[in-house]
Amino acid sequence: MSLAELQQRFRDALVTGDAGRVASLLVGGLDPRARLAIHQRHYEASLVRALLDRFRATQWLVGSEPVIEAARDYVRSRPPNAPCIAEFGEGFAAHLAATPMGRRIPYLREFADCDWHLGRVAISVDQAPAGADARAALREIPAAAVASARLVLQVGVHYLQAAWPIDTLMALFAGEQTPDHVVVEPATVYLEVRGSRGACWITRLEAGDFAFREALHAGLRLAEAADRGWAVCDTFDPGRALTALWAAGLVTAVVPASLEEVS
Amino acid sequence: MRSGVAAPALAEHEGQPVRTGERPVTSAGLARLIGVLSLSPSGVGLRLPHLEEVVASRPPAGWLEIHPENFVANPHATELLVDLASDYPISVHTVGVSVGSAHGVDRTHLIRVRRLIDLINPVLVSGHVAWSTHPGEYLNDLLPLPYDEETLAVLVRHVDEVQEGLGRPYLVENPARYVGFGRSTMNEAQFLTELVDLTGCRLLCDVSNVCLSAHNMGYDARAYLDALPGGAVAELHLGGFSIEDDGRPGSTVIVDTHGSAIDDAALELYGYALGRFGWQPTLIEWDNDIPSFTALLEQAARADAVAAMCRETKKGPSRVAR
Repeated sequence: MSLAELQQRFRDALVTGDAGRVASLLVGGLDPRARLAIHQRHYEASLVRALLDRFRATQWLVGSEPVIEAARDYVRSRPPNAPCIAEFGEGFAAHLAATPMGRRIPYLREFADCDWHLGRVAISVDQAPAGADARAALREIPAAAVASARLVLQVGVHYLQAAWPIDTLMALFAGEQTPDHVVVEPATVYLEVRGSRGACWITRLEAGDFAFREALHAGLRLAEAADRGWAVCDTFDPGRALTALWAAGLVTAVVPASLEEVS
Repeated sequence: MRSGVAAPALAEHEGQPVRTGERPVTSAGLARLIGVLSLSPSGVGLRLPHLEEVVASRPPAGWLEIHPENFVANPHATELLVDLASDYPISVHTVGVSVGSAHGVDRTHLIRVRRLIDLINPVLVSGHVAWSTHPGEYLNDLLPLPYDEETLAVLVRHVDEVQEGLGRPYLVENPARYVGFGRSTMNEAQFLTELVDLTGCRLLCDVSNVCLSAHNMGYDARAYLDALPGGAVAELHLGGFSIEDDGRPGSTVIVDTHGSAIDDAALELYGYALGRFGWQPTLIEWDNDIPSFTALLEQAARADAVAAMCRETKKGPSRVAR
């Protein structure tokens, strides 16, 4: 048997629990299968612990037991694909939503997704915001060129539209006191999830500003982003939105349009 | 050993000559470490829960060792680490490079590790004689290998690739073992000796791993240390372990939990290792149920006390105070 085949069997014992095809190859202890179980337990326990660390707010919301149960299932079906465990769990919110608990709690997926992104943005590092000079330079170029320019936003930002006020729930989690009873009603919210250097926060935006910022974050040109804002809000004011974006320190660079784009 | 386990016995190989000193210290990083640390206390593993505290308070640790996997996807932690690198010698100890994987080293990860070490210029870079990746998957454990010619060829190829990719020598650590493979044709010390000979890599001798693997696999820990190529050993590790039932009354298995103080038995073996290998940079590892940083420094002080005792007596201690 090749080393590759041996490792495939060992992997199956860890991930799927099928130890039968590798146990006969092992030596050690009175019962090598019991020794193999040390590795099997470690695989599950360490990855479940990693998910629990990443989804603390979600545990607070629904309790540890259902999250642990879902995490056990997740590590069997979706092993990490890279050695950095901080990157493990991106699909866990969707996995939770597919569980019976997720079907009972309609805002669970959005809340867990927000939980995930708060953790992601908190470890980012803000770049120096683009200064007044960059903004002044933007004013001096032809209007057509401004419309075709792109803005680079801070890395530690994520835009999340939710059908429930998950930011209110997240504020309760972060607060020191939790009420005994909370009424949650459906209400579409437009959230900017921000973070840098260990801190993270959520800002609720107007629909137009949200669409504008989300479009810029996705790399669209200023004119396209403004169109997105108008598409969801007749009174959207791109000038005011741009000023607010700049004031928030979210813009790190202006990327002028190429000649081809302007023409 | 209490387990009564039948396993390959190193005694069979005790008659073989032990090769020592055949690997001269040529790495600038290693020379720098030895220069910096020749009179310094033991180092401690720096884990994320202590990072901000260490940045703020600059505690008197001799040196720090990090797992790059905790940093390469965490820009904030990397920023703090770069700051610390100006004040502390840093060693990079990989857990995800997986030189034992039959399907190859994860090159994407190797590139990320290279970027980090280019930022912090570590004094040592190390990893494990183990495998942890499968195509498209990371199994989050240091998994055992059979010790035979096929595995040796895989490790030689991958250690060469890692040393080339990182642009510096790579130390490989002896694993904690609970199982072996019937197909093995070499014992672990022979395997490591061959690997050193064929790649020029150096060894990180985890003394606690020797202690627990010897117990679990039924061989003599001191004979194991005697059989290693002493001149290749460039770093020592000490970590806590736990003793668990091994299925039948009176039978135990020791598990490498890194979740407790260093066991007296490991410290005693550490004294023997110092007598065998001479002074080497020594690191305290504690990864689960992580205590205060002060508690880690206390563990480092215990190791330093053993080293001091060895310098005085020129041999390992018979008993070690906790």
